[in-house]
Amino acid sequence: MLQFGRFAATRAVMALITLVIVSFVVFSLMELVPGDCAERYLAYKTTQGQAITLADIDAERVRLGLDRPYMIRWATWLTGAFQGEFGDSCILRVNIAQLLGSKFWISLSICLGSLLLAYAIAIPVGIISAASRNAAMNNTLRIVSYLGLAMPNFLLALMIMLFSTLYFGETLTGLFSAEYKDAPWSWAKFVDLLKHAWLPIFILGWSATAFALQTVRALMSDEIGKLYVTAASARGLYGGRLLWRYPARHALGPIVNSLGFDLNRIFNELPIVALILTLTEAGSLLLEALARSNDQQLAGAIIFLLTASIVTLNFFTDILLAVLDPRVRKSILR
Amino acid sequence: MTTTTENQKAKEAYFTASQGQLIWARFKKQRAAMIAAMVLAMLILSGIFAPILSPYDPTIAGRDADYLNGAPQIPSFCDTNGCSIRPFLHTVTRERSLATNFRWVETINEDERRYMEFFVSGDEYKLFGLIPMDTHLFGMSEGYVHLFGTDSSGKDIFSRTLHAIWTSLQVGTMGVVISFVLALIIGGVSGYYGGWLDSFIQMVTDAIRTVPAIPLFMAIAAFIPPEWTAETRFLFISMILGLIGWPTLARRVRTHLLTERNQEYVLAAQLCGASGGHIIRRHLLPSFTSYIIVDLVISFPYMVLSETALSFIGLGLKDPVNSLGVMLQNVTSADVLLNYQWYFIPVIFFVALVMAFVFVGDGLRDAADPYSEANK
Repeated sequence: MLQFGRFAATRAVMALITLVIVSFVVFSLMELVPGDCAERYLAYKTTQGQAITLADIDAERVRLGLDRPYMIRWATWLTGAFQGEFGDSCILRVNIAQLLGSKFWISLSICLGSLLLAYAIAIPVGIISAASRNAAMNNTLRIVSYLGLAMPNFLLALMIMLFSTLYFGETLTGLFSAEYKDAPWSWAKFVDLLKHAWLPIFILGWSATAFALQTVRALMSDEIGKLYVTAASARGLYGGRLLWRYPARHALGPIVNSLGFDLNRIFNELPIVALILTLTEAGSLLLEALARSNDQQLAGAIIFLLTASIVTLNFFTDILLAVLDPRVRKSILR
Repeated sequence: MTTTTENQKAKEAYFTASQGQLIWARFKKQRAAMIAAMVLAMLILSGIFAPILSPYDPTIAGRDADYLNGAPQIPSFCDTNGCSIRPFLHTVTRERSLATNFRWVETINEDERRYMEFFVSGDEYKLFGLIPMDTHLFGMSEGYVHLFGTDSSGKDIFSRTLHAIWTSLQVGTMGVVISFVLALIIGGVSGYYGGWLDSFIQMVTDAIRTVPAIPLFMAIAAFIPPEWTAETRFLFISMILGLIGWPTLARRVRTHLLTERNQEYVLAAQLCGASGGHIIRRHLLPSFTSYIIVDLVISFPYMVLSETALSFIGLGLKDPVNSLGVMLQNVTSADVLLNYQWYFIPVIFFVALVMAFVFVGDGLRDAADPYSEANK
């Protein structure tokens, strides 16, 4: 048990180090954006008819702490980030934690939902297709997975929009019905969210499903040919029992390992799908922050949060793998 | 007797074949990959010769001011007045006024034919950016022909699609080359020297790999000052794609190097007094060139797709540079979805392009793996 705790602790420290490196990269990028927050804010004030001097800008810099050295500002930002505090948005002048709030959690739930969907489809279908010799089915699956690779999610979203407007006469956009948009959270609002969220979940899960399907199929076909499977079937096991008990358990390890990268892939598509489906969550906020207003504080916070969720997921899959796979467990407990 | 000598010859050819010949022989056996390779070759050729194949200039200079948001026109050989060897179009007059409820209404004049002509001279262009020419494969005796219709400013979508393929190929190539050079340097150093340097580089690489790439693209692309020209943007975007795409490739290079550097031939070279750089370049890299080529082909479509995504949201390329993302920028409006569906025709070409790359990449990977035959 103690050794297991030590293993978990090492993994946690490694995850933290990754986050620190990522935060440095993200923070440096934010700093590279031409112009800083003080200039932005005062540029806004001049549009309101106030005369601004250089001294005013310097005073604003001191107020925001922008005159301190680079490393100190990074350290401050980092400690804030770990407490969920990202300061104020440059343009909107609102606290970022407040601004993101539930939006980030909605985005994360949608992405995790599509990850779940991807594997809920990929694991059974992949196992069946690896076990069966049905050429027609295997070829169809192959084409579907290649389409999943070639047709990025945002093109799929566009196509679905095209067909839904052509044939159903309505666009399946947004996350909430009008009456729930600004309402406080309630059961009815949650149900309304589910009614709208299936489409983004499906679209985001689309290429993840294709990738997962290929992985599961390849792993299973490797394992099925091995001798221990033949031995098990010689002992009289067959069908689903045989597949689930023997090769499927072996194939599970690499699948658990790849979850983090799948989430990464889903995050990649999030802002663009959000734009097409006019969702109002973190993805579109990121787009807004970058494309329209160059709001570096907000953009940095969102990228950091996305990466942090991937790192967290990676940490949990590492632990899960150690629990699930006796080989990994033994190598730790030795 | 003759069959055995032929067998012998075939065997001899097999054993003396170079690496490239073996890969080609295995690649030819895969039907899907061969078809994909042909499609790919056709797309690449049509991209390279886009200025000749397309009837008009893809920029605002080649616009058809009388046919904005016009539907695709398919030349036909026959009509009610009989047939002709030359394909032709009918003259179309369009009207948009109070009488038509402000929508475009087209009246086709069946009696007036406009014939298609081949190798006509039209808009001027520079082939390969060097040779000034004005010959286009086809054109009309009078007026314009728009195979895929026109967009809101009257630009020919067919011409734009062909030029967009070329743009995507350029962006992809530049991105792949940049990320490849970075991956070779970083992965090479990391894998060859090992030790603490390797651990450190791997830690940084892994950290960068966890950052979702497209949001990061967006963050960097947002730095581009609005006053930059389209060409400078183009260069910068390809550079970003390369600068972010290296970690996966670098990791593969490192893994190969780690297994190879303990082989005897490396030791032999070291004993001869070869320097580290020399060994990496002359001995280690050739040992897995085929894997690297395969990796490059496989990572190509991701570069193209990233560029498309970036341009689509307005952070990537901009008019007058043509790319699929630029062409799709305004298609989400209800107006386009309901009335002008031909805006989506280029999508077919790009799905074909990416699919072809994926299939060829997969085929090459199987062909380059000397152990794949043993399994079959």
